[in-house]
Amino acid sequence: MGLLFRNWRRSTDPPRFRTVRALYNIVRTSNSPEARGRRLLRRWLSEGQLAQFDAFNFFDVIGCHTARRYRIYYATSANVEELDEVGCPLMRYCFIPMGYLAPGDVMLAQKIALETEELAALEVANRFPPKAQRPAQGSRPQIVRSSA
Amino acid sequence: MATHIVMDHTGDRRHQFDPQDASELAEAETRFKELTGLGFTAATRTAAGETLKVASFDPTAEETLFFPRLVGG
Repeated sequence: MGLLFRNWRRSTDPPRFRTVRALYNIVRTSNSPEARGRRLLRRWLSEGQLAQFDAFNFFDVIGCHTARRYRIYYATSANVEELDEVGCPLMRYCFIPMGYLAPGDVMLAQKIALETEELAALEVANRFPPKAQRPAQGSRPQIVRSSA
Repeated sequence: MATHIVMDHTGDRRHQFDPQDASELAEAETRFKELTGLGFTAATRTAAGETLKVASFDPTAEETLFFPRLVGG
């Protein structure tokens, strides 16, 4: 493909060359491991998780054993935080599938693990203090107080 | 057609099989056992979007996802 482009670059039709190159780049990037992982993740998220992921690039899951809430960020390591009732991070975890997987794949494996075998996932996880910065604006759940 | 999706460094690889075809079904079951034997976790999802871990081959599952063993990072 590179040779084809090198020869074509000398052609007398640069606009056509640029169009073909742009199309080639679209096809190449849409089939990259990262793009494929992201597509697979989006297909397996629940409706609420998908909306959250599209808005903030992270989503929350509820642990199947403890009902604790975890936030999974778009990354491949140390990207899971346990949250308290108001959305403040309590602990950061790092547990990842073996092998070099794309971020979307890593996040999907973490989601399934927390939703189906939470304690086993936490058992292998390394723990870190949560990041210093506060959660992104709008990511905290709204607390509704009753007026009764 | 049913699909086995196996996560790997390329994103994933997919194996489609016809659950009505005995030979394809046997091949799919063998693949399931091999992958879970290697430490892969198998999961399916319900129509409501709930994920379920599966311990044994389910010929009725439309889509089964396999991801490698989890380790501390």
